[in-house]
Amino acid sequence: MRLPVLTLVLALAACGSAPSRIVVSDAWARATAPGQSSGAVYATIVNDGGDDRLVGVSSAAASAMLHANDSSGGVARMRMVAALPVPAGARVTLAPGATHIMLGGLKAPLTAGDSFPATFRFAEAGPITVQVTVVAPGAR
Amino acid sequence: MLGKLRIALWALVLIAAATLALLLTRPEPRPAPPSGSELPLTAIGGPFTLVGADGKPFASSRLAGKPFAIFFGFTHCPDVCPTTLARLTRLRRVLGKGEDALAIVFVSVDPERDGPAEVGAYAKLFDTPVIGLTGTPAQIERVKKQYAVFSAKAPQPGGDYSVDHSASVFVMDKAGQFVATISPEESDATALAKLRRVAG
Repeated sequence: MRLPVLTLVLALAACGSAPSRIVVSDAWARATAPGQSSGAVYATIVNDGGDDRLVGVSSAAASAMLHANDSSGGVARMRMVAALPVPAGARVTLAPGATHIMLGGLKAPLTAGDSFPATFRFAEAGPITVQVTVVAPGAR
Repeated sequence: MLGKLRIALWALVLIAAATLALLLTRPEPRPAPPSGSELPLTAIGGPFTLVGADGKPFASSRLAGKPFAIFFGFTHCPDVCPTTLARLTRLRRVLGKGEDALAIVFVSVDPERDGPAEVGAYAKLFDTPVIGLTGTPAQIERVKKQYAVFSAKAPQPGGDYSVDHSASVFVMDKAGQFVATISPEESDATALAKLRRVAG
C-alpha cells in the first residue's frame, strides 16, 4: 500500500528539479562611522530544497554587492563575486573575514540598534527581503 | 695605426661582452614581498611620527612603557578592518587587565581618503579606546617599511578603490620591541596567548 507513494516520492526526487527552499536569517551589520562610505552585511542562508545561487542583494541604504575575502599570503584582498552557490541542503554563512555583502556609498551611517531592509535575490527562489540588524562594532 | 685601431675595437667588444654578461647574470630585482618577509622579525617597529585624530603629530614615544597591538588598514574597509579591531577590543577585555594594559593602534594605509577626522571617527566606533592614526603619504610609507607592511590600491567597479593590505596585527612589548604577529586565521586562544606575553 505504501510502496506506490514511496515510488512516487523517489521518482520526484530523481527528477532533480526540487524547488529550492531558502531561509535567510540572522542578517546583521556593524555600525559605521560618520563619513564612512562602506559597510558589510552578514547573514545565514539555509537551503532545504534544490540547488540555488545567491545572485544579488539590494538595499535602499546603499549599493550592495557580494564580496569574497582572500587572505592568502597574509594579505587581505576583497573581490567582487558574481554569485554565491547555495547547494541543496546547504547552510551558507556570510561571516566577518569571509564572504559578505559589501555596502558601498552609504547614504547615512549605520547606527547600532537600527535595522534596515535588504533584498537577497536567488536564481531559483527569487527575492527574499529580510531586516538587517545594526550592532555595535565590537559586539560580535 | 691599423693595429692599434684593431686592438681598441677588440677592447670595446670585450667591454660590451662583459657588460652584457654582467647584466644577464645579475639576479632580477625581486618584486616587493606581499608580507614583508625580507625584514628580520626583530627589526620590525621603531620610532615613528604620524598624525593623530586631533590633527596633531603623534610620536610613538607616547606609547613608551605601554605594550601595544598595531594594525594597518583603511576606514573604507568594511569587513577585515572592523573585524580585526573588534577582535582586539574583545581580547583586551578578556585579558582583564584594563584598557591601559594594552594600547590598540590603527594606522591608515589610505592617507588620500583618511584624514585625522576619518581615522578618529573610525576609532571611536568602538566602545573602548582605539588610537587612530594617519599621516602624509611619506610618513605612511615610512611606517609601512618599518613594519614590513604591504598595501596596494585595488580598483573596484564604479571607479572606487579598495586597498589590499597586510592582514596581521603586530604585538609590541612595552619597550616597543616586536614580540609576535596575530593573523586573522589564528584562534582567539592563540592570539590571547600572544597578547598575554606583553600584557599578562
